[in-house]
Amino acid sequence: MNLDWLDAFLISGLFSVVVIVGLGLLLHLQLGLTRIANFGVVGFFGIGMYSFGVLFTKVDWPFGDLWAFLISLAFGTLVAGLSGLLVGWLIADLDEDGVLVGTLGFATAVFILATTEQDLTGGALGLGGLKFPYDVGTVKADEFLWLVIVSIVVALIFLYVWWVHRTPYGRLLIAIGGNEPLAKSLGKPAFRTKLWLFAVGSAGMGLIGALFGVMERFLAPENLGIDVTLAAMVALVLGGTARAWGAVIGGFLIIGFFDIIVQSYLPLPKEWYGQAIPNIKEIVFGALLIVVLLFRPLGILGDMRRDKLMRRVHG
Amino acid sequence: MLDFLSDSIVIGLTEHAPLILAAIGFALLYRLTGLINVAYSETITLGAYFGMWTNTTFDLNFYTVLLPAGLMAGLISVGTYFAIFRPAKKLNVGVLEMIIISFGLSIVLRHGLQFVFGYPVRFFEVPPPDTIRVLGVGVGSFRILAVASVALLSFLLYLFIQRSSFGLQIRALASDEDLAQASGIRPLFVTVLIWFIAGVAGGMAGAFYGVSSAVAPLLGWRQFLFIFLVVVVGGRKGLGGVIITGALTGIGLAAMTLQFGQVLYAQLALIVAFVVLLKWRSKRAIETAKV
Repeated sequence: MNLDWLDAFLISGLFSVVVIVGLGLLLHLQLGLTRIANFGVVGFFGIGMYSFGVLFTKVDWPFGDLWAFLISLAFGTLVAGLSGLLVGWLIADLDEDGVLVGTLGFATAVFILATTEQDLTGGALGLGGLKFPYDVGTVKADEFLWLVIVSIVVALIFLYVWWVHRTPYGRLLIAIGGNEPLAKSLGKPAFRTKLWLFAVGSAGMGLIGALFGVMERFLAPENLGIDVTLAAMVALVLGGTARAWGAVIGGFLIIGFFDIIVQSYLPLPKEWYGQAIPNIKEIVFGALLIVVLLFRPLGILGDMRRDKLMRRVHG
Repeated sequence: MLDFLSDSIVIGLTEHAPLILAAIGFALLYRLTGLINVAYSETITLGAYFGMWTNTTFDLNFYTVLLPAGLMAGLISVGTYFAIFRPAKKLNVGVLEMIIISFGLSIVLRHGLQFVFGYPVRFFEVPPPDTIRVLGVGVGSFRILAVASVALLSFLLYLFIQRSSFGLQIRALASDEDLAQASGIRPLFVTVLIWFIAGVAGGMAGAFYGVSSAVAPLLGWRQFLFIFLVVVVGGRKGLGGVIITGALTGIGLAAMTLQFGQVLYAQLALIVAFVVLLKWRSKRAIETAKV
């Protein structure tokens, strides 16, 4: 495969856009529809990443790499899903403050475990030995193929979100987000729905984390900072929390701007890239959250006009 | 066993006194204005930076910079109220959006500080503190001062809120804003006062954190979860509950750190215990609400 036309920076930039879009889409179900502010996105992302990495590298697998890889991937997703179930159970009937404490606490707990359990995770030094489950020649080709695979996974997540918008389940989520006591009084199982939502959403975040870890090839606790949660939240809020396309539009606009355009195509002095640009990026992210939520709370895409049927019903 | 207990109590109270101070400030905002202000962590960090800056630039000793650091953090806290939270309230921003806005502000301030001061951690230039032995444990004089100022400040705050006429206005505003306004309370003045006091408490806590280790942009954020846990768990019983929960948290952290030999495990156990406690309490609350 001749990939001379493709810049290596473009691959990594697109990859981070795709990863954040995936996280933003899953966050959309929780924050946008059900109005649960999950501040622990990076926790689920990280537990999937580390469960996958630890199982893949520490076990002496009796069969080929591909199977070991797939089993570890499934394991990472499962662990993230189960922890989502646990966290969901803990916070489903708490107020906003309890949700913030629970999700933030979970992310901190994952960070602590990744640092302390050195036998498994390598502690602060990190965990190496991850690799792609194939070899198509050059590193660049390997990475490009991985970008394509992860894009397909994120596209499937998008289809799931799209589907949720058009099913009774999605309307149930919106009803619970809009007025939970009312939904309960109409006999809707709010608690169970939130549990399921958290389990599925977290499993998806864990899967994305594991896929991200493969591209990084090296897992370290510094991958588990609040900036991952922040990026997913900014992408979603900028694009529009209430819309399925929100995280996609927002992600390509803002993450794409920084990780592709600023990173590769702007003629900026080299020494800026070490400290100044990453800092400015985070400052812009934070400022965007404030400005968008103050002046256009539903983001670029705006109001929730979900489909023709709903428009006909509600006028 | 008795040694372990007294060690935990002395270390816990002296090392984690800033936690109580910060929790008092956060609880004031949270209980009296109903706002979960994530950017409070940066009020703490700003206090530490400002203290360090006055200390190293003007060659002042730690005791002298403590008050300006607190005042400066208080002013900035009031500034964020006017710049962000007051307009947000006027625009009828929801509770959830308010949390995210304060999170955004926290990120802006944190990385703004990093931009100005750079990555390397900074230190206060102070002579090594005198060590005083309390129940057989050596404690630095700054930490003793921290405990003393926590005790003094919480006593003053208690008097102020429970006994003074301003305190009465603050409490009236917290319980019913419209009624308070109708009875002639100026909400703006009282709200600004709350933000100022909260900022002073946070800034002083930051200066104490900073002098006992180092000053870094993440200083406040590293403490935020624990401050928040203390306030959410203890806040239901008023400021007294916050102070007691904060003290118990400090003692618990110290005891578990001594036991496990690693502070991270102590923090992990604390997070789990508090979240489970919240869950347990919410279950009880639902049962009583059913009646």
